[in-house]
Parts: sequence; C-alpha cells; structure tokens
Amino acid sequence: MANRVQFENNNEVGVFARLTNSYALVCQGSSEGFYSVFESELADQIPVIHASVAGCRFLGRVCVGNRNGLLLPNSCSDRELQHIRNALPDRVVVQRVEERLSALGNCIATNDHVALVHTDLDRETEDIIADVLGVEVFRQTIAGNALVGSYCVFTNQGGMVHPKTTTEDLEELSSLLQVPLVAGTVNRGSDVLGAGLIANDWSAFCGADTTSTELSVIESIYKLDGTMGGPSRPGAAVGASAATSAGPSSAGQSKTQGSVSADIRASLIDTMT
Amino acid sequence: MVRIEHCFVCSGPVYPGHGITFVRNDSKVFKFCRSKCHKSFKLKRNPRKIKWTKSYRKSRGKEMAVDSTFDFEKRRNRPVKYDRDLMMQTLEAMKKVEKIRTAREERFYRRRMRDVKQLEKTRARNEIVRNIDLVAPAASKQRQTTNVVEKAQAKLDKAKSAAMDVQ
Repeated sequence: MANRVQFENNNEVGVFARLTNSYALVCQGSSEGFYSVFESELADQIPVIHASVAGCRFLGRVCVGNRNGLLLPNSCSDRELQHIRNALPDRVVVQRVEERLSALGNCIATNDHVALVHTDLDRETEDIIADVLGVEVFRQTIAGNALVGSYCVFTNQGGMVHPKTTTEDLEELSSLLQVPLVAGTVNRGSDVLGAGLIANDWSAFCGADTTSTELSVIESIYKLDGTMGGPSRPGAAVGASAATSAGPSSAGQSKTQGSVSADIRASLIDTMT
Repeated sequence: MVRIEHCFVCSGPVYPGHGITFVRNDSKVFKFCRSKCHKSFKLKRNPRKIKWTKSYRKSRGKEMAVDSTFDFEKRRNRPVKYDRDLMMQTLEAMKKVEKIRTAREERFYRRRMRDVKQLEKTRARNEIVRNIDLVAPAASKQRQTTNVVEKAQAKLDKAKSAAMDVQ
C-alpha cells in the first residue's frame, strides 16, 4: 500500500527520508508527524531511526543504501556516523565514502542486487558500492540525465523512471536491472521521482500531491497490493493491505504493464491540460 | 563535537573555531592553523621545503617518520558499534601507545645525536688547524698576560709571608 505523506508542507518526501528493506532513516525536524507515518507503517518490521547528515535534513539525497549496507558522504560527521552505526542492525555495513559528488542519493540508484550510478563517479567509489552494498554496478544515464538517483526509483519488485525515457532505453534498463520498469511521474506530474517517492519491497511513500492515477501506477509496478506474487512484508500479515482490487495473476503481467503505461499516459495528459 | 584537524602546512593541530579552511574546486579540503601557514600556501610554497614544518623534518630524517605507532591515528570511514568494554580498552591502549611512541622518539633522537659530540670536536680541531696563524698571536699574548698576573700574585704572597715572619 502506497502512502501519501508530507514533510512540513513539502511534497518532496524522498529528500527527507531513505527507505530500504532492512531499515529506514528519517531526518530530524519539527515534523514529527512525518516520522510517525513511517513508524506506524514500518516499525513492526524494520528499525525506523532519526538521523542527520552534516547537520542537515536532506538525508535522502546524500545517502544511499540497501539491505546490506549504507553509504554516507564525506560531509557526514563522525558523531552522525557513529549514531547511525549504533542504531542500525549489525549486519548492515555503514561506510563513509570520499567522493567528490557528495549527493550520493542523486548519483546512485540501487536495489539489493543492482545499482545504477552517475557516469562521473570515481572508480574507487564504484568498488566500494559493489563491496558494501553487494551489488553489480552499471554507469548509466536516464533520459539523457546523469543523476540516476533523482530520476529513477527501483526496488527488487519493479521500478519507475523519468517520464521522458525512450522505450529503447526503458527496455535496456529493464534488462540490466532484471525488474519491470515503467516511465512515470509523482506529485501531480513531477518528473523528479527520487524526491517524490520512496519505496522498498513492501511499502512506498509519495508526496501528498500525487494523483490517484499516479498512485495506482506506483502500487502496480512495485507490487504493493500483496496479491501479485510479490513478497509479503517480513513477519506480518498482508491481508489489510490487499484492499485494492484483486490484482491480475502473474501470468497476465505483461498485460498489466500495458495498462500501466496507458495509466501513466492518462496522468500525463491530465497534467498537461 | 568537532574533529581536531591537522594544518596542511605545518601539521599542527587546528582546533574548532581556529584557522582557515580552503576548499579547492575539486573538493579537496585544506586546513590552515594560522595566517602564517595560509600565506605560505598562497605563495605556493611546498611544506616539505619550509624548514619549520613537520613534513620538512620528517622528510629530512630529523624526526621519526615511519613507525607502527602512527598507524593508530587515522580517519576511519567504517565505524564499529559502540561497546563500553571496547571503549575502555581503547582508552587504556591509547595511553600505552603514547608511552611507546615517546620512548621510540627519544631513542630515535639519541641515535641521531650519538656521533654529534665527536663530530663537533673534530670539526673544531680542523678549523683551528686550518686557521692556526690567525689564532697563534692572540694565544701567545694571552699566555703572556697570564704569566704577568701569576708573577705579581707570587710577589704579593712572598711579601705577605715575610710580614708574617716579622710579626
């Protein structure tokens, strides 16, 4: 089930939080309601912790992680690093990287198996990503834009990319990542998916402006209704989240993708008019 | 809690709120402990060639440069979880390491200074031998004056003892 949330009246929720399959980081701020949304949704399964990087709140854009590890930028202070290390489970490796492009969240997009990275990223950083996150690393651009972390969001289930991605690119990326992809928007036509949307294998959060069409695209591509053969949340029942219409069987998955792209086209037209 | 950084030029400590930080456009950060160091940097001086810096002394073998005790102090990018026992052990170990380091530095200094006395002596002797004709007149003059003083003293002593005898 995808949730609509706001952070201090701001819809760019991906800036203020980082969500993975084994932990969630939420920034410190006056908006405790933002934190409580994550807490109520996720606290049964994974730790949800308050954190900051370089004393700032743009946590989601400067750090990147998955089930295995978390990478933090050079600007992260020793004390913040130690706090995050202490709060996360032992098997998550926390590492700071000496990288010139310090907005790691914008430059790297990852799930538990594959990562797309900015084309100018250091070779050492690439090695660290492969080592710490346990992923295969590909240098890619999305719709001609090098900021892969901003313009795509993907999990082990599926992913969304910038609406102007061509079909060929979409197919290439999809074969690279081995997950179904769809071009789409959030927050009523915003193409900055990384800022508007955060997702893991069983939940997603997007800005409060997101239209119901966009929301339905998100739910179907990330397989959040729990009926499409996707993984259920660890150690919890999925019954409550299966409220959406009975999803098509996995056999008709390609058909779903067709309808998804039709949906997204409709939402784009909505935005234009 | 802010880190105590090292000055780029002199390698001295830069405490929070002191000095100046320069960030080059390839994002490399340079810290300077005082304007003297900052100015040296702006003049494009190489710290290894300025005599008063740590890096000069180390590169010229004037101070211990390679040692395992220096490996403890470094920037760690992968932290370990807080553990009270580990922390206590670390604090104890830090004192021990410090002690070992100072001992090794002293030993290094002694070894470096071992032959210096002898060397200075031979150098002085060589210089005297080389310039003996400059030194000789002055030395002989000095000897003469001392002789005069001694004679006068002897005379005085004699007179005193004679006076005592009379009494």
